[in-house]
Amino acid sequence: MSGRLRSLVALLVFAFACGGPSATPSMSGTVDDFGDTLGLVAPATRVVSLNPVTTELLFALGVGERLVGRTSWDLFPDAARAVPDVGNGMQPNVEAVLGQRPDLVLLYASASNRLAARQLRAAGVMTLALRTDQVADLARVTPIIAAALGAAERGRRVVDSVRASLAAVGAMPRPAAPVTAFWHIWDAPLMTIGGGSYLSELLEIAGATNVFADAAAPSPQVTLEEVAARDPRWVLAGPLSAVRIRAHPGWQAVRAVREGRVITIDTTVVGRPGVRMGEAARYLRRVLIDAPPR
Amino acid sequence: MRVHVWILLVAAVVAAALVGIGGGPVALSLGEVWGALLGEGDPTHVAIVHGLRLPRVVLGLVVGAGLAASGTALQATLRNPLAEPYLLGVSGGAAAGAVLALTLGLVGPALVPLAAFAGATAAVVVVLLVARAVSGHADPRVLLMAGVVVGAFCTAAIMVALATASENQVRTALWWMMGSLGDAQWASLRWIALYVSAGLILLATWARDVDVLALGEEAAASLGLEVERVTRRVYLAASLLAAATVAGAGLIGFVGLIVPAIARALGASNTRQTLIAAALAGGALVVVADLAARTVMRPAELPLGAVTALIGVPFFLWRLRSLR
Repeated sequence: MSGRLRSLVALLVFAFACGGPSATPSMSGTVDDFGDTLGLVAPATRVVSLNPVTTELLFALGVGERLVGRTSWDLFPDAARAVPDVGNGMQPNVEAVLGQRPDLVLLYASASNRLAARQLRAAGVMTLALRTDQVADLARVTPIIAAALGAAERGRRVVDSVRASLAAVGAMPRPAAPVTAFWHIWDAPLMTIGGGSYLSELLEIAGATNVFADAAAPSPQVTLEEVAARDPRWVLAGPLSAVRIRAHPGWQAVRAVREGRVITIDTTVVGRPGVRMGEAARYLRRVLIDAPPR
Repeated sequence: MRVHVWILLVAAVVAAALVGIGGGPVALSLGEVWGALLGEGDPTHVAIVHGLRLPRVVLGLVVGAGLAASGTALQATLRNPLAEPYLLGVSGGAAAGAVLALTLGLVGPALVPLAAFAGATAAVVVVLLVARAVSGHADPRVLLMAGVVVGAFCTAAIMVALATASENQVRTALWWMMGSLGDAQWASLRWIALYVSAGLILLATWARDVDVLALGEEAAASLGLEVERVTRRVYLAASLLAAATVAGAGLIGFVGLIVPAIARALGASNTRQTLIAAALAGGALVVVADLAARTVMRPAELPLGAVTALIGVPFFLWRLRSLR
């Protein structure tokens, strides 16, 4: 285990701990990732969350009962399924959102959500558009959302708990030889995780190395030939993809596949850069380092 | 066409195949490629050359030949240099079939190609039926218009299907609609090669009738040619040939449009010559375009259809200028 790697992991956990605004956010005056200013006179009571990460976060903050709308993808925790589904969230259905009479709408800060944020604000509904891509983002957005819901103290405890879990995994002994991994996220086009993804960071914290960590994009497109050349020790994939990879002749070009080192990843555990990242890091540590399939 | 032009075309195919096998995102020396071809050396190199590059190159040759031959036959039969399989419903139908399969979650390895082929076949039949219902026979102008309209309808259906799809499904649909040889596998390649060869032989057999058709419908009819029947069966065979390529590699634009023009520019004088010359040139072009798609932006891969369009549009504009 090199000193460089150890310091990188320390840095990741540290970034998580102190990411975010230096001043304690309040209900008004905070600026979101679209540059819009939050202006609430009282804690929000009816919230629509159009991002699975923030949906999970609301339940962790103990204010899940204030959620009045979510996207079709928000299926965790189980209680979220009982909340009305207002669409798939890619192009938010503004009318369906307004129909839930929210006083706060949480959006992922992507270009495709800008129009919706503007329309919602024009209709008099407060919005918070926040990026949630990397490990450090949770520590940054949690205080903002917690303040808007009047749950600042609970927000601090959520951040502390995730940080402690990540630090505990990061402090485990590193493997003697580097454990490299290729993380398959999509076929056609073939996509993996790059250094800009929280999953790449979680792999580092767990003691492994993403073979495409040098790619800056969160989910870069790559060629199978390049994967073969980078020769990862493990290939990680979701349940359906893992079956396909093992059977596909083209994938035999990758040594890890030829030699049977494909790990089926439980995508429900690692799927979001949210409050369950500690659990996700522990899971990766277990399947890659402590008890890899034999 | 002169003998040295044929030799040049065959040489181009061989050269394209060689650079296609030798080149790729992973730099291999000539010796390493040769060793890998013989099954010796680093197993990863052998796997790259045998498992990835060889099937890709062969699929490129087959798909390019099929598209170019299909375009040649359609342009000659419909007596319109703009006629090509994608304009006549094949691309729209194939895309609608594939996108429907993708958004319904039918992602099994063979299902999307099969759905694409079924969609293309359905669109081709609809175009033919519309043309017959409107004009009483397979009038080339009505066939073209029916093709455009059926294509527009398919595009609308795709937009409806994608409106509720997930981000990744949309990405796959777009990727598929821009064509790729990335999924080349010997098992499915065998069938596509068989199908394309059969289509090529059929079209070459009918090439003489198409030449007669070029004299004009009345002149051809007075020479005893069954104009209606020839038009219909060439249209069907050429479209189904294109549909088979779509099943193997998605939509690769401009090959069916520009390669027949290249073949004619090389001096091919009758339909059969143009057909064979276009098949050779089409195969070489797709293999070289795929090499560019694999390497220009490595480690990412460009959509093949975008590369062929980037090559095809300037060429097409240049041809337009020379038609003045």
